Amino acid sequence: MSSREPMWYCHECQAEMRPLMVPDPHCASCNGTFVEKIESEADDPRGFQASGPPLDNGATLGGGPGFEDFFLGLSQLMNGPRPQRRSSSGPPSPERGGAGGTGFRLGINRSPSGSQTILVAGPPTSGINRRGASGEGRHPIGGSLMAQYLLAMLTQRAGREGHADPFGGLGLLGGPEDGRWGDYVFNQEALDQIITQIMEQGNSSRPVPATDEVMTELQREVLEEGSPLLERDCAVCKEQFSLTTEDPDDQVIVTLPCTHPFHEGCIMPWLKSSGTCPVCRFQLVPQPEHHPPNGPASGSGSPGPPQVNRGTRPDTSPNGGMFGQFFNIVGGSGSSSNNSRTNRNLAPREEWEQGGVPGAWLD
Amino acid sequence: MSVVYSRRLKKELQEIQIEQADPTKRAAGIQLLQADDLKIWFFSIEVLGESLYKNEVFHLMVRFDPEYPFKSPAVQFVVSDKVKPPVHPHVYTNGHICASILGDDWSPTLSVMAICITIQSMLASCKKKELPEGNDDYVRTAPDNPKKTRFVYHDDTV
Repeated sequence: MSSREPMWYCHECQAEMRPLMVPDPHCASCNGTFVEKIESEADDPRGFQASGPPLDNGATLGGGPGFEDFFLGLSQLMNGPRPQRRSSSGPPSPERGGAGGTGFRLGINRSPSGSQTILVAGPPTSGINRRGASGEGRHPIGGSLMAQYLLAMLTQRAGREGHADPFGGLGLLGGPEDGRWGDYVFNQEALDQIITQIMEQGNSSRPVPATDEVMTELQREVLEEGSPLLERDCAVCKEQFSLTTEDPDDQVIVTLPCTHPFHEGCIMPWLKSSGTCPVCRFQLVPQPEHHPPNGPASGSGSPGPPQVNRGTRPDTSPNGGMFGQFFNIVGGSGSSSNNSRTNRNLAPREEWEQGGVPGAWLD
Repeated sequence: MSVVYSRRLKKELQEIQIEQADPTKRAAGIQLLQADDLKIWFFSIEVLGESLYKNEVFHLMVRFDPEYPFKSPAVQFVVSDKVKPPVHPHVYTNGHICASILGDDWSPTLSVMAICITIQSMLASCKKKELPEGNDDYVRTAPDNPKKTRFVYHDDTV
């Protein structure tokens, strides 16, 4: 091995070594993947480590050493003044995640060819808020929340300034054009949209669900031979009431005060979203003032802002660590015109089920 | 709940297919194009007789979720190289339709065919072909699924 060949520096254990290059460059002593070639004195990672993170020096984004400094600085900010020494490889250990409050990592891998990969990694994030609330964590914002904010900010700015997408290597799309990313907003315009949305919800004409009390007190009967109901249909499932149903529950009939009868299993889900009779709109509970449809279709031209997509909260991620977070973030882009969204809206049942609020427009 | 969903939709599909086969029962100008499953159906819609949309054919995409019929399906006009949405004050150029029966006025007693007929008559009664106010802004930021838009219904005239 020639002595002129540059050494590499491991940002995880601060070792200077020659990394193992297969499959990706990783530290020969700790197996960490956050390694950097020591190429020139001007860009010496060891010096950076000693001097600490200059966060406000106007780091340029989108490439060059300044960009990396910025990331490394953030890494330190998240994990403490100095990265904790780790002797084992693999994902952050629980103690690390717990003690630091975030267990958050930022990393840059540079391959010999000059391309770079940026990692933003954190623990599964379901506990982030809880930790923050209990006062145990040092950072009110941590983990994936911070990661999302950074990603949105960085990709957005990089795009605007015409830099190459620093996350291109990971297949990320550009930043959100309207400044919204999942549940978070990053500019004035997006905030305005949210405020408009909230104001419109205030005087909404959305149906009000029936209360549990109202629902339990409804008239119920089990079908019997000779019942006049047997000649009638359930207006929800469009089936005639019958004594010969496979499911005995289908013989429990609820009659609303307006005398319209339904299978119990057909009317209850509806009343949970709207306390009205599906047939005549009789109000079991007072409904917001609402003009009835006048003519074939009432409606018109002023849509509220599109809804923030809530199906992609990071804490619902089944694979909360590492790259899973990236894909959550990508998926949360509120206004992407990506065609695959068509399928997303169709398939997963839980996404539909989040729309538990009556009226069905907004989750 | 999902039992009602599949039972209802199968029944509706069966009835639509019977109607389509019988010219005397068929709703004129409405045709089922595709219904391979209980998730997404396509219809063609045209307004027969005199209207602003004479000789125009539109395609309607109807998407269901397992909460149907307790929640309305997602209904929009298809926008493609071959078919365009109608120019109508309640139809955005991305195919989204602002109609209260698809939102707050939905009732589980309504059916897919009822929606088609409603939309057909919404076109038939149109007095002036024009785009909705704020079409460009809406189309630029609209979600893929029109059900995620909160429309404000304020015009009962068309």
